[in-house]
Amino acid sequence: MKEQIPAIQTEALARIAGANDERSLEEVRVGVLGKKGTLTLAAAGMKDVPKEDKAAVGQLLNAARTAITSALEEKQAALQDTADQAALAGIDATLPARAVATGALHPLTQIRDEAIGILRRMGFALADGPEIEDEFHCFDALNTPADHPARNEKDTFYFDSGKLLRTHTSSVQIRTMETAKPPVRIIAPGSAYRRDEIDATHLSVFNQLEGLYVATDVSLPDLKGTLEYFLHELFGPQTEVRFRPHFFPFTEPSFEIDVKLTVKGQAPRWIEVAGCGMVDPAVFESVNASRKDNAFDPDQVTGFAFGMGLDRLAMIRWGIKDIRLLIENDVRFLRQFA
Amino acid sequence: MNVSLNWLSTHLDLGGKSIKEIDDLLTFAGVEVEGIETKGIVSEKIVVAQIKEAVQHPNADKLKVTQVDAGEGQLRQIVCGAKNYQVGDKVPCCLPGAELPGGFTIGETKMRGVESKGMLAAAVEIGLPAGEDGLLILPEDFPIGKPVKELFESDVLLELEVTPNRPDLLSHFGMARELATLLKTPLQPLDIPTRSTTPAADITLEAPDACPLYTAVKITGVTVKESPAWLQQRLESIGLRPINNIVDVTNFVLHELGQPLHAFDLAKLSGGIVVRHAKDGETFTALDESEHALTPDDLLISDNSGAALAMGGVMGGLHSGVTETTTDILLESAYFTPQGIRRTSRRTALTSDSSYRFERGVDPQGVLPASALAVKLILETAGGSAEESTQVAGEAPGLTKPVALDTAKLDQLMGGSISLTDAEEILTRLGLEKLADGTWNVPSFRDDLQRHIDLVEEIARVHGLDNVPSRFLGAFVPASPVDLAYDADMILRRRLAALGLYECQTIKLISDAEMVDALPLRPLVDGDVIRVKLPLSEDHAVMRPSIVPGLVTSAARNVRQQAKSLRFFEMGRVFRNAGGGKAKDQESETLALLVGGATAPAAWNQKERQADLYDLKAVIQAIVPNIPIRFLPRERDGFALGCDIKAGDQNIGVFARLKPARERELDFTSPVFAAELDLTKLRKLLAGIDHVEDLPQFPGSSRDAAMEVPATLPNADIENVLLKLGEPLLESFECFDVFADPSGEKLAADRKSVAYRFHYREPSRTLKAEEVDAAHQKALDALTQKLGVKFR
Repeated sequence: MKEQIPAIQTEALARIAGANDERSLEEVRVGVLGKKGTLTLAAAGMKDVPKEDKAAVGQLLNAARTAITSALEEKQAALQDTADQAALAGIDATLPARAVATGALHPLTQIRDEAIGILRRMGFALADGPEIEDEFHCFDALNTPADHPARNEKDTFYFDSGKLLRTHTSSVQIRTMETAKPPVRIIAPGSAYRRDEIDATHLSVFNQLEGLYVATDVSLPDLKGTLEYFLHELFGPQTEVRFRPHFFPFTEPSFEIDVKLTVKGQAPRWIEVAGCGMVDPAVFESVNASRKDNAFDPDQVTGFAFGMGLDRLAMIRWGIKDIRLLIENDVRFLRQFA
Repeated sequence: MNVSLNWLSTHLDLGGKSIKEIDDLLTFAGVEVEGIETKGIVSEKIVVAQIKEAVQHPNADKLKVTQVDAGEGQLRQIVCGAKNYQVGDKVPCCLPGAELPGGFTIGETKMRGVESKGMLAAAVEIGLPAGEDGLLILPEDFPIGKPVKELFESDVLLELEVTPNRPDLLSHFGMARELATLLKTPLQPLDIPTRSTTPAADITLEAPDACPLYTAVKITGVTVKESPAWLQQRLESIGLRPINNIVDVTNFVLHELGQPLHAFDLAKLSGGIVVRHAKDGETFTALDESEHALTPDDLLISDNSGAALAMGGVMGGLHSGVTETTTDILLESAYFTPQGIRRTSRRTALTSDSSYRFERGVDPQGVLPASALAVKLILETAGGSAEESTQVAGEAPGLTKPVALDTAKLDQLMGGSISLTDAEEILTRLGLEKLADGTWNVPSFRDDLQRHIDLVEEIARVHGLDNVPSRFLGAFVPASPVDLAYDADMILRRRLAALGLYECQTIKLISDAEMVDALPLRPLVDGDVIRVKLPLSEDHAVMRPSIVPGLVTSAARNVRQQAKSLRFFEMGRVFRNAGGGKAKDQESETLALLVGGATAPAAWNQKERQADLYDLKAVIQAIVPNIPIRFLPRERDGFALGCDIKAGDQNIGVFARLKPARERELDFTSPVFAAELDLTKLRKLLAGIDHVEDLPQFPGSSRDAAMEVPATLPNADIENVLLKLGEPLLESFECFDVFADPSGEKLAADRKSVAYRFHYREPSRTLKAEEVDAAHQKALDALTQKLGVKFR
């Protein structure tokens, strides 16, 4: 026995060293330490060892088992290490990504959401109204006389019913005031329609954002502060803003708003972005007549309204040269907004 | 409207104002400056020079090397290619730094090896009317070295957009009056003789409602000929073509004072003038040879014989105007009401400089002065003699009345930014006059000032918003239902974009041809489609009842651009009637989806896969992940594979594949699937959970079963049996395999094998195997009984 055990140890260590994979290593373990393994059998022979030798043989056995077990563990770790390295070798992280379908929000949605986000921070709530409107809400109530140039079949889409496609989102001002009471502080994004041939700068269906604030003591300083703040948020705090006197039937006084913008490679220039004004008292009177009360008494309340073209804002923001790109939905265009 | 700065300067002194300052001034007065065109020479560095020597260029046959005296004390060498001059001629010389029309700047250069320090110029090169070929030869008496600019008239043409409330600005005098107000500069008084008036003998005013004032002057013995140079130049300066002295005078007065005039050839009149409404069906041939059928609402100027001479205020007739043989004329100056002119102009689609002004409103008090100025100018340019007094029929309507200024309201609206003194000063400058009772008298040319707010508008406009402080205040407002809907829509949009779909924006007016792709939530019947009365084109004639047609058109356009993956969505309104037109003009909001072509781009480690029905279904499921989405087949006219879409037990929309024939027609090379979903219902599905469920504390068990069923059996039938089973331990189930063998070898060709996995769980304890087996058997038995399935 004293010779046999070191021999088993030597042979086992040699086989462990020679094992090239987990399976052959496991074979060695079973062959040596398993139920019928050489060392196990040798240990079973202890009962035949003379008493005086038992201690010495026992020590030999223990030493052999310790040596073999740790050699197995080391070899196991080494093999795992090799396998891990092999698993990582040959992976080229510089190859392109797996392809995933990309999508994007339409630029119009993006600019609208940005504008709405700013105005909501300023305390405006959303409102809407029908796109198939009647003449009262689109024109009459907005102080636009029956023979006004916009009110003809050349410029406005009419239906046989006498209704029309709203030419501006300003009709939502009337719709809102008919059901609400002051204070009214709303914005209304939506489509509007004009009988314009579609070309690089015109769409027959376009998108506007309307705003209205009516309360006691709303004044020109409120209009100016609100729109300046809004435009500074949208175009940057340094942006110059100017208010040019203008004319709209439903506001008085009325202004158009320009911002001074620099398009790449060009000198800064004034670009018209919105129209606005103080709500004409005649509009309040129409609303009162429609409501059959005096909730919007022009002697008690004042207000301002504003409107802007969202398609135009998108074109300005991203330097879009042809408005038709906004309705053609070419993926090569849309992808840029992902 | 075109305005000449030189013409304007005859009314006020604009000296020292740069074009930029005038631009700003007009802009902040509310007049939009749409264009500024400089005519004539601009640069100071184009001077008179005398050619002292010209020798052949050593290296170029067609060039000469000249030495010129530009008044600099020494001669200047310039290479020149012209041939039309002689040594000793005076010509324009562009010195280095001179800017030429078109933004070109002259420099010093070498031409074929010879130095050239400037350019000798032809007329057209320096912004003068093109003359003969070659250099512009200047008169001998032009002093050497003087800027050529000072020797030729230059002008600036302003293209102005006047808002419809300000017809008083539609003339040079009117514009000058406004500028004088803003600049606080005196306005040159007009030099117009006063003429006596007499009640008209020859004018019958039958339509005072449309023409309250009509005046006429007979001028006899005129000579119709070319206008004098000054008059031609005035008209040309604003882009008008001179015609003859009579017509030119009427045009001049229109643009000078804003009052349109008309001159009739007296020889073509039978008796006097009758101002009357047209007879129903009466026809009229206008000056531009267009024919018009008139209505009694239209106003005609006719003679006693009833022959129509002119459409009052809109356009003269073809045969009543002044020609070269005219010797006697009748000069009309009248006030036509804006409403009447607008209606006629719209009905006949005839517009003119006259109708443009009348429909906005001319100054009734300007009718006689304009006539007097025209008479004076006609006598000066055409000779002849005018009758002593102007014939007047009717009277000038009083369109203005005193207006009160509510100072408290003014102060409120302006935010206290202007003192009452300053506000009143502005009104005074604008020609208003404070009356003893404190109200304001408004000049006759400003009939747009009728109410307190109109005065405020004038004060605000002149005061300028620059001088108004900014205020940041506002009421608190609660979120509206529209806010909630908007937020839900943005969540849906972001989810869809993250799922790899592009959001589209299509025109809501579609064509009849596109209507075949309409997939409205409820099928349309006759009378449900809404059409605009006068579409711009066939492409935009119908209000879309569904968004899918727009997406199909967009997808087809992308396919033509070689796009391989079609994944689109759009949200928005759709329009229809219902019940065959019983319920009208219904607007609702939907979400449309379109999926086709490659599911994702091909990559080195990934084959391209063509989208199928289940890809679109996956998108719908992914936007509402916690609500089971099911498709229940229901045929849709014009589509294949039509299905109702159910979320839980609620119908939320429709699904279909385009018919293969339609796909081929649009050049789609793989199937295209579309869905239209009710946005109102979808928004509610986004509401989220009220309270969270406890996580399971005990393990569940799964059992698999493969069943053999007829190939035509819809999966939904199996689902329905299991959903209705009511087995409390059956937590969930899913189909994980469908196998069919069309060859019939492994399975009969008319059969398929469907494999399901069943999950069983009792929340309060661990189930025993026998309990799971018993529950599972119940499920299998139900399937056998209800559907006759065989388990494999």
